[in-house]
Amino acid sequence: MFWFLRGIRRGVVTTRYPSRAEPAAAQLPTPPAFRAERLSVELVERLAAACPAGALRRDGPDLVLDLAGCTACGRCRDVGGEAVAASGEFELATRERAALVKRIPIGGGR
Amino acid sequence: MTEEQRLAARLQERALALFRRSLHIRTFDSGSCAVCESEIRLLSSPYYDLHRLGFFFTPAPRHADLLLVSGPAVRAAEPALLKTLEAIPEPRIVVAVGACALGTIFTEDELVHGSVDAVIPVDVYIPGCPPSPLALLHGLLVAVGRLEEKVQSLRFDLREELPA
Repeated sequence: MFWFLRGIRRGVVTTRYPSRAEPAAAQLPTPPAFRAERLSVELVERLAAACPAGALRRDGPDLVLDLAGCTACGRCRDVGGEAVAASGEFELATRERAALVKRIPIGGGR
Repeated sequence: MTEEQRLAARLQERALALFRRSLHIRTFDSGSCAVCESEIRLLSSPYYDLHRLGFFFTPAPRHADLLLVSGPAVRAAEPALLKTLEAIPEPRIVVAVGACALGTIFTEDELVHGSVDAVIPVDVYIPGCPPSPLALLHGLLVAVGRLEEKVQSLRFDLREELPA
């Protein structure tokens, strides 16, 4: 009955975002992250061919990941094996469209 | 920075400060598959509860401060989209939601524009197919300046995690 007193005592009316570590977040499909050393030009071409959304492509010495197009389907993880893992990042909102385009150096930039 | 830019920046700051505590959202579907809409609707569920953060949905664009656009900007929806945007009083924020709205899924042809920013200026982009309600909440808080964006510093390169 006096539940509201608890809120007044704590001085908190509503919770912030996120109020605590979000349990649902671990279940979310997320865009891929890459182990650059394990990437080869040949593998990157295969990854680009496997991406149904066209979010992966090769640009010279770099693998280009366009997060805007990524649907987190996980097909690149099937193709890439050890070189690709889920990034676990889903809070990707940005004011700059260009910030969503990530360049990963093939072979770790060597 | 010129005097004009300085004033614009100050005005922007004032507007965002006004939006910080109460913001009304009008959603617009420019031809999406309705999964983005499903996630947007989940925002008002008790689990995500966007009202606690001062966000509210409104069906009337004249009452709205923020336009949440999903879908690849189908050309048939363009007049409605422009009218909706025009009806929202300034200052206003436009947020593009989902992979279609950000481009790359549909290429521009006679049916679709392919991305929302080809039709109207977009302030905040929320990627995802669909973006989860958590990602949407984060995007809305970024749009009103209550949270910093994260993606600028992410590299999607796992090099440092490898054993030496």
